[in-house]
Amino acid sequence: MSLLEIVAAILVLGSLGLLFGLGLAIASKKFCVAVDPHLEKIISCLPGANCGACGMPGCMGFAQSLLKGEVALNSCRAIDEDSRKKVARILGVELQARVRQVAVLHCAGGKKVGDKFQYNGLEDCLAADLVLGGGKECVYGCLGFVTCKEVCPFEAITMSSEALPVVAPLKCRACGKCVEACPKKLFSLIPASSSVVVACNSHDTGRDVQAVCPVGCIACRKCEKACKFDAIHVVDNLAVIDYNKCTSCGECVKVCPTKCIIIPKANLKNKEI
Amino acid sequence: MDVGIILSIIISMVFVNNFVLSKFLGLCPFLGVSRNIKPAISMGMAVIFVMTLSGLLTWLVYRFVLLPLGLVYLRTIVFILVIASFVQFAEMVILKKSPALYRALGIYLPLITTNCAVLGVTVLNIDTFFVNGKSLPGGLVLTLLQSFFAGIGFTLALLLMAGIRERLDLADVPKSLRGVPIAFIVASLMSLAFMGFNGFRF
Repeated sequence: MSLLEIVAAILVLGSLGLLFGLGLAIASKKFCVAVDPHLEKIISCLPGANCGACGMPGCMGFAQSLLKGEVALNSCRAIDEDSRKKVARILGVELQARVRQVAVLHCAGGKKVGDKFQYNGLEDCLAADLVLGGGKECVYGCLGFVTCKEVCPFEAITMSSEALPVVAPLKCRACGKCVEACPKKLFSLIPASSSVVVACNSHDTGRDVQAVCPVGCIACRKCEKACKFDAIHVVDNLAVIDYNKCTSCGECVKVCPTKCIIIPKANLKNKEI
Repeated sequence: MDVGIILSIIISMVFVNNFVLSKFLGLCPFLGVSRNIKPAISMGMAVIFVMTLSGLLTWLVYRFVLLPLGLVYLRTIVFILVIASFVQFAEMVILKKSPALYRALGIYLPLITTNCAVLGVTVLNIDTFFVNGKSLPGGLVLTLLQSFFAGIGFTLALLLMAGIRERLDLADVPKSLRGVPIAFIVASLMSLAFMGFNGFRF
């Protein structure tokens, strides 16, 4: 190979590289799309789980809509308090008070409820629910496959030894994914400051409930009478707490004969913190 | 131009010499982006787009720069340069002119920059349509056709794989084979099936 060939190769490759480089440089100026510098900062403050609870396509979409003023900051249910303040400062908006919520499970059955048949299909609550409402004797109760645990973007749900999902309140960001995913609609979001939960979802009459589950709500209305704040009512054979009125005094917990109104231990800890 | 040649190019690129399943090029996106059908379609569109236009560009560079200067041995590195800068350029233009398309192609466009299937098709074009250092008549059109249908073949393989894997999610696969292992088994079976097309001779 002669020196000329080597020089020619270097020249051609070099000039091609230079040409493309210049072309790209010009193109990047010409086709430049201005990106709001706030966008990056906001995205870094958001949880980044892309849970979709705000209704936007992921955290980036939410940040873009925030900048355009299309959504309120409160739509993000997953963000923690510090980051929320940071984002509010970047946006220059007033921070509205927001009640922190956590997800709770309305079932205490688990292994206490027997099987009505042996379910041998996919290990997934949605699939199990399609087969006569799942293998559990109580058609309202938790099926114990880990669908809620799998959808939780924050790993806040673990399975207890009772084969029931347990929500860790400190990890829970109330994104509502488990609420949507559960085919039995066993989860709901309650204010984190409240600690009383009706751990039953059965709308059956007292006798039917007692036949299948020792810890179900039998609609005896003792809690209704015990409550001084008119906060708990039996609706359609099931005790329902109105968290706007509930003061977490614990009177209903004391009188409940089946102990289906509970103060979850994890929630107590949360309160102390 | 002979219709037979065009037809044989189409069948060769889509079935017989399918880039993924017969030539084993572009396996990374084939396994990486074939989990669901929707992203697979986006990826396939992006590959068709990039393959066709880089086929055109590299043919021009080879014909008018490398051949006259006698530097054909530089083609691999020059082609990589051309493809990479073209993809970057295309990304900028699309972002400016059509943000919707940009979002549809998403991350897949820059990913293609270093996809060996794209380099493979450009090199194949040169090998097929240049004889003794001279371009065949109608070479440019044939190059475009070959690149486009190579992209179609890639998309076909990707879509087939994505369809199978979507169904696999619902199948009762042994635990140790779930996920990527079963995907590899499926890929090899598909490849065997595509070998059957080798019987076609034109």
